[in-house]
Amino acid sequence: MIAISIEALTKRFGSQAALDDISLRIEPGELFFLLGPSGCGKTTLLRAIAGFVAPDTGRVLFDREDVTNLPPHKRRTGMMFQSYALWPHLSVARNVAFGLEEQGVPAPERERRVREALASVRMETYAERRIGQLSGGQQQRVALARALVVRPRALLLDEPLSNLDAKLRLEMRSEIRRVCKEFGLTAVYVTHDQKEALSVADRLAVMAEGRIAQIGRPEEVYRRPHSRLVAEFIGETNILRGEVVSRVGDEILVATRAGRFSALAAGALAASPGVNVLVSIRPEGWRISDANTERTVPATLRSTVYLGEFAQHEFAAGGEMLKVLELNPHLAHRVIGRQYYLEPLDAVILNDTP
Amino acid sequence: MSRATAIAVFGFSALFFFFFFLWPIGETVRGAFATPGQGFTLAYIFEVFRNPVYVEGLVNALILAIVSTALTLLIALPLALISDRSRFPGRTLLSALVLVPMILPPFVGAIGVRQILGQQGALNALLEALGLVDVAAPIDWLGQGRFWGVVIMNALHLYPVLFLNITASLSNVDPAMEEAAENLGCTGLRKFRRITLPLIMPGVFAGGAIVFIWAFTELGVPLMFEYTRVTPVQIFYGIRDISGNPFPYALVVVMLVSTVLLYAASRYVLGNSAHGMMPKATSQGGPRPLGTLAAWGCTAFFGGVTALALLPHLGVILAAFSSNWYGTILPSSWTLEHFEGALGHSLTLLSIQNSLKYASLATILDVVLGIGIAYVVTRTTLPGRGFLDAMAMLPLAVPGLVLAFGYLAMTQPGKTFEFLNPVVDPLAIIVIAYAVRRLPYVVRSVAAGLQQTSVTLEEAAQNLGASPLRALRRVTLPLILANILAGGLLAFSFAMLEVSDSLILAQRMKDYPITKAIFELYQLLGEGPYLACALGVWAMLFLAATVFAANLLLGKKLGGMFRL
Repeated sequence: MIAISIEALTKRFGSQAALDDISLRIEPGELFFLLGPSGCGKTTLLRAIAGFVAPDTGRVLFDREDVTNLPPHKRRTGMMFQSYALWPHLSVARNVAFGLEEQGVPAPERERRVREALASVRMETYAERRIGQLSGGQQQRVALARALVVRPRALLLDEPLSNLDAKLRLEMRSEIRRVCKEFGLTAVYVTHDQKEALSVADRLAVMAEGRIAQIGRPEEVYRRPHSRLVAEFIGETNILRGEVVSRVGDEILVATRAGRFSALAAGALAASPGVNVLVSIRPEGWRISDANTERTVPATLRSTVYLGEFAQHEFAAGGEMLKVLELNPHLAHRVIGRQYYLEPLDAVILNDTP
Repeated sequence: MSRATAIAVFGFSALFFFFFFLWPIGETVRGAFATPGQGFTLAYIFEVFRNPVYVEGLVNALILAIVSTALTLLIALPLALISDRSRFPGRTLLSALVLVPMILPPFVGAIGVRQILGQQGALNALLEALGLVDVAAPIDWLGQGRFWGVVIMNALHLYPVLFLNITASLSNVDPAMEEAAENLGCTGLRKFRRITLPLIMPGVFAGGAIVFIWAFTELGVPLMFEYTRVTPVQIFYGIRDISGNPFPYALVVVMLVSTVLLYAASRYVLGNSAHGMMPKATSQGGPRPLGTLAAWGCTAFFGGVTALALLPHLGVILAAFSSNWYGTILPSSWTLEHFEGALGHSLTLLSIQNSLKYASLATILDVVLGIGIAYVVTRTTLPGRGFLDAMAMLPLAVPGLVLAFGYLAMTQPGKTFEFLNPVVDPLAIIVIAYAVRRLPYVVRSVAAGLQQTSVTLEEAAQNLGASPLRALRRVTLPLILANILAGGLLAFSFAMLEVSDSLILAQRMKDYPITKAIFELYQLLGEGPYLACALGVWAMLFLAATVFAANLLLGKKLGGMFRL
């Protein structure tokens, strides 16, 4: 179990900065996610940790060992590739045994460990199969076994589930988490799927344009996004312009076109009265009521889409259109064109200036 | 294209193949197994393996093929690895030039090799000038019976085939496959041997099979080197008494069976390796920059091989301009006489006319058939279209010598196709022979175009009132014009310099195409060889121009023409 430290890492491809002065620390045994849209630099960062990308400046440390100039084959990481990269000319067992053969592990021990690794991903009966005979999910398990069997210092996963169908993806998510925790591995996991990151990660970093936009536990990043970019990349949200009216501690009263309500300052923005700000409120962060209180804003229901476990509403409030999600929607359904009162429960003031 | 038209095209193509592909082969096979009384016998085949002359020919052909393939692999494998993996000065230019040795006729190049590597050739003259070789005892570079001359010419001519197949395989290898090995501690030569090489084996096998079959059945090059103790040449000389002698038939059948077995074996190995389902590459491999020294080393190697491959043809060009080139490094005096002579000689002028006529007609036939077959194969759901496709590709696997012999056999007096007998008038049978051999290139080129052109474009035209045939003519054909032209150009230029069919089927001097004229001129004493070279230079210029045009039209896809 090692900690992975990234120190001021920069990598340019031509004039494009794929990594722009990135620093972060991944704790021992942590399942850490790199999340972001394609081209944000997350794969480049992972490949820099694996050693396939040589950074222009900055360092990569495994615990206290500087591995920046260590070639990939000496880093002792286990990597899972997006395409799995299983060798079609070798059987399942030979694929898994490959890394042990390279380490010079004697045959009896090798065979035992290959068997164990295949068993740990529930593929022990497929040892003699050819790669071409396996389904996508099975290939994924073999790739995981191949990466784990060498007892790597860290497991690196490059969008490992992107080639699977939705149902298998759900199953493999928890499988990967189970295996990582069972082996006590430090793992870095790259994905562009926010659901995957939220459901599996211990902590995650949202990346954009070669920089880290925010690091935190899934619920922190989701409920307290620091920026519009993070708020909009992870989940859906309503962004409202407003002006700070007053501030008491963390709680700030904001005036928006939709009305006045209180919000939390998530970032380090100096939100003093009179400052223009952006407020993010998630669609599920509203409560719909029939009564007007000082915490609510009046809003007219414009459209509604019923989806079973919840309903998606659109409200017009003072010139703003608000997306509102209602869980367990009322049996007597809401009436289009009627006025309701919306109470914002989870309003966050973003760091961005409007 | 309506279903009825498609069926008609299918039927016509199938009949064409039956009569002009299967029939000649069948006729040859019959000649090898039928007694004069039409009974069945294995005696001729056994006799082939008992007669020491034939056995020697077969053994020599086999050794020639093995050594040629090995040498070709030795050149092509490092070349392909360098070109795929590294960035070095001149990479683009050299990669573009890689096909040039392929298209220059080896049969003509052989003259150049003899000029340069012969005992009184340029290399020995150079070594003598440097004082490294004794004038009285020049080194015999080409070896006893000029075996090495044939091998060198084969290798220099055929390495692009293997190169293209290997680079295609390399570019299909997901870079993550190699990164996964590195991640697990395996690098350098070990990685190449354990991962890369097994992954590109299909390409090596596919290319190797083409090269092997080609070298095994090559007629022109051994003939030019007067290396006569090899089966193709024995068959060629056996044709003179084709009507009464069953042994040429038996020899052809032995060659055919060997190549078919080899072809089947290579397919079997390819099929078993089951690498077809490789996942799509996700990371960019691309060429890596090298250190200055290594990069220039790559350039030198790649450029050196290309220069070496062009040397024979340089020899031909020099010879064409020289009035005397014997025992000197460069020709001792220069002249333009041979070019005038070549154009003035009755044989050469007539042969150029003949070649143009044969090649044009064959190309027209190829383009018409090729469009029809490619369309049926890619755009219809007719049962048996896969069979048609396989059929259209088969001429690649059957040696030209075998087919040429078959055509001659099936047009002998008393046979069904007697009316096509080349001694009476070779036009029809030569055009057919040229067309069948080049058809795969046209089919492949047109099919590639059709696959890249959406069916919906044609459907849109039909939706607006165009009949299926009109939609094909007005929408699809203009869109794939580049592919049709490129395929046609290739068919044309290869037909212009076709060797086996030309040597075997053109029997009267007034019917000789260019290649047979070169062969006959070369046999003449005096200025004959120089005239042959001059004619060869004309032919090379012509071929280079057409292939350059095809390259412009097809771009990188040109390489795909030489893959199995």
